[in-house]
Amino acid sequence: MSEMRQTLEDSARKVFPNWEAARDASDAWAQVAQLGWFMVGVPEKIGGLGLGDEGLAIIFAELGRALVPGPVLTQFLVIEALVAGAPFEERDGLLERAMSGEIMTASLAIGGRSSEAVMDADKASHILLRREDVVALISQDGAQVKARETWDVSRRLFDVAVVDDAQRYVVARGQKAAQLNDRLDTLLCIALAGDALGGARAALGLTLDHLKGRSQFDRPLAMFQALKHRVADLKMMIDTADAFYADRTSQSLTALEAGELKNFCCAVYRDTVEDAIQLHGGVGLTTEYAIHRFFKRAFLNCALGGDADYWNERAGRAAMAESQAKA
Amino acid sequence: MSTDLQDFRAEIRQWLDREAPTDWRSAATHDAFVESQRAWFRKLVAAGYAVPHWPERWPGGGRTLLEQKIIYEELSRADAPRLLLPFVSTYHAYATIGECGTQEQQERYLHAILDGETWCQGFSEPNAGSDLAAIRTKAVRDGDHYVVTGQKIWSTMAQYADMCLLLVRTSTEGAKQAGMTYLLMDMDSPGVTVRPIHQIQGDEEFAEIFLDEVRVPVDQRVGAEGAGWAVAQATLASERGLTLMELSYRMRGALTRIARQLTEVGRADDRGALRDLGALKIRIDAVCALADQFLRKRMNDEEQIGDASIVKLAYARCLRAYADLGVRFAGLDGQFHAPITFGDLNSGNWMADFMNSYAWTIAGGSDEVQRNIIAERMLGMPREPKSWTAEVAA
Ligand SMILES: Cc1cc2nc3c(=O)[nH]c(=O)nc-3n(C[C@H](O)[C@H](O)[C@H](O)COP(=O)(O)OP(=O)(O)OC[C@H]3O[C@@H](n4cnc5c(N)ncnc54)[C@H](O)[C@@H]3O)c2cc1C
Repeated sequence: MSEMRQTLEDSARKVFPNWEAARDASDAWAQVAQLGWFMVGVPEKIGGLGLGDEGLAIIFAELGRALVPGPVLTQFLVIEALVAGAPFEERDGLLERAMSGEIMTASLAIGGRSSEAVMDADKASHILLRREDVVALISQDGAQVKARETWDVSRRLFDVAVVDDAQRYVVARGQKAAQLNDRLDTLLCIALAGDALGGARAALGLTLDHLKGRSQFDRPLAMFQALKHRVADLKMMIDTADAFYADRTSQSLTALEAGELKNFCCAVYRDTVEDAIQLHGGVGLTTEYAIHRFFKRAFLNCALGGDADYWNERAGRAAMAESQAKA
Repeated sequence: MSTDLQDFRAEIRQWLDREAPTDWRSAATHDAFVESQRAWFRKLVAAGYAVPHWPERWPGGGRTLLEQKIIYEELSRADAPRLLLPFVSTYHAYATIGECGTQEQQERYLHAILDGETWCQGFSEPNAGSDLAAIRTKAVRDGDHYVVTGQKIWSTMAQYADMCLLLVRTSTEGAKQAGMTYLLMDMDSPGVTVRPIHQIQGDEEFAEIFLDEVRVPVDQRVGAEGAGWAVAQATLASERGLTLMELSYRMRGALTRIARQLTEVGRADDRGALRDLGALKIRIDAVCALADQFLRKRMNDEEQIGDASIVKLAYARCLRAYADLGVRFAGLDGQFHAPITFGDLNSGNWMADFMNSYAWTIAGGSDEVQRNIIAERMLGMPREPKSWTAEVAA
């Protein structure tokens, strides 16, 4: 294991040993900012830690493991937009504020739906708006925000309507905007993939604890082979996702490559939580047990950042093109 | 990728353009296929590409992970035949003798493998499949020899093998595992009879071996008498992990067959079909990454209990999904019989591929057995109470 991974994971596990430790959104937010996570992906020469996507990837998985609430993922998107976009006069100041934890937010959707699924838009000072030909940061008072309640209570999502004369900083335009959008899609997909992977591991852990702890027919549930085999299949898929994630996030990715990764990890997460509820039995349907929280986050992850049909189709078209190129 | 590796890739690609057999798919009989395998193995050995997973002191050994990956990618790209005949010799026999054999045995057998001596694995018996420790083939010590009597089954390529990795029972006392011994048997010894088995897809890849008072010299024993179970684990570990990198990359390369199938049936723009193809492509990429990671762990001595089971299960399930999609896209066309391609798991003859995929879900510890290992030994789920007897059931 690399030293960077060790350090980041150790500090994450100390602060957020489990989902309960991250239950309070504003506390969790303060902790994340204090840990310096918002600086991780930013190059050193502009005040960051310079750990790149590889460092971020480790954090994303930790956020998913502990179900960290709040607009952490979108904060990373805004920071990346400021770093990768064209520098403007106020850029360094905004970047510094974002890195120190002033909430700036963006949408978790892709494909021209940037005014939906905006996290914590009510608390943000700025909102990143992504259009095909322009990416801009608008100040929050230039936007009307409408809360949309979600099943997943660890995320607060808003619809945003921008008023015409809103103050805006243009981050990228034209061709540059397309490139930046691609890069933001990539980062978003990596973030959702990591979140899914960390969540899947944790959900499997909770399920195993339950199976080992509860007895029926005078034996622990974990002794039933029918259940062992389901759990083993989940473990196999999670380990596969793990290897896929480590491999892909050690390289620089195209949006499609990141989308493929997102698709795989989110599907594994979804399959894991689907079985996890079943293997919990009745208590899995109660709010008293934590597993429903992972369940809901897993389903939301699937729907964010481009859904399974979207990425599978693109991957399929790419496979067709690859095969034609070989022929 | 560094220029060294790029050069390496270019070198092997050029070599393959020149040397890779192109006619192996048309081998009409198993014998013809085996002949082509022998010739291909000789070429690979001479060029130093046959045993990249062996240590450095062997010609062609000591390849880094990235070099191995390049070799397998290029073999797949060139559509070169997979080494099936020397599979047991270069993986199972190498791992067993390399890890547990004496210096003398290593000198005697490992060189011979590179010279083309082939091996088969004689573990399974009619009444000892998943429950390998139930083997009954008996070996009795007689001076400098063991005298072996019994029956082995499902032994891949036994009809062409020079040598056999033979697991026998030398004692019926105590635990089943404790009475097992590991022998290296010459297949041309008197008393050995081999009978090929006809398989559902039309191949004869494996055979039964009948043993009637076969004499095996004691110096052809690996490990101590009674230590056969531990030695057998080295054999099994080699087939569960190491070889899966090559197979995964081959499956990745063969994704083109499914793409072509889709084009052939006029569905190249069918969004539902494209999505299924895309999902499979992503899954294969993930399995390739898993196989890479496993090999890296193995090379760095970081492998943990169950890792090999995870890779094998992941590959086997993915291989089934591959064949499944092919069968689906082929539709009725896929139901008309076509001659099989020996030695290819991803041939594009979809029904044959589907049937062949069971080789990986049953052999070398079935999927169910791997799941038991993962659940019990990795995840700490408790084993069921040990004994079951007819009286309890009655
Ligand atoms: C293509 C191929 C090549 C092979 N090559 C060789 C070879 O070269 N040498 C050699 O020695 N052997 C070889 N084998 C044999 C192989 O190792 C056995 O087939 C395998 O171990 C399964 O044993 P079995 O066939 O007796 O099935 P069984 O053990 O009878 O299994 C039947 C079914 O029951 C399931 N089952 C068994 N035990 C359990 C359990 N505890 N829990 C849950 N489910 C269980 C199995 O998964 C399977 O689905 C080969 C097999 C194949 C298919």
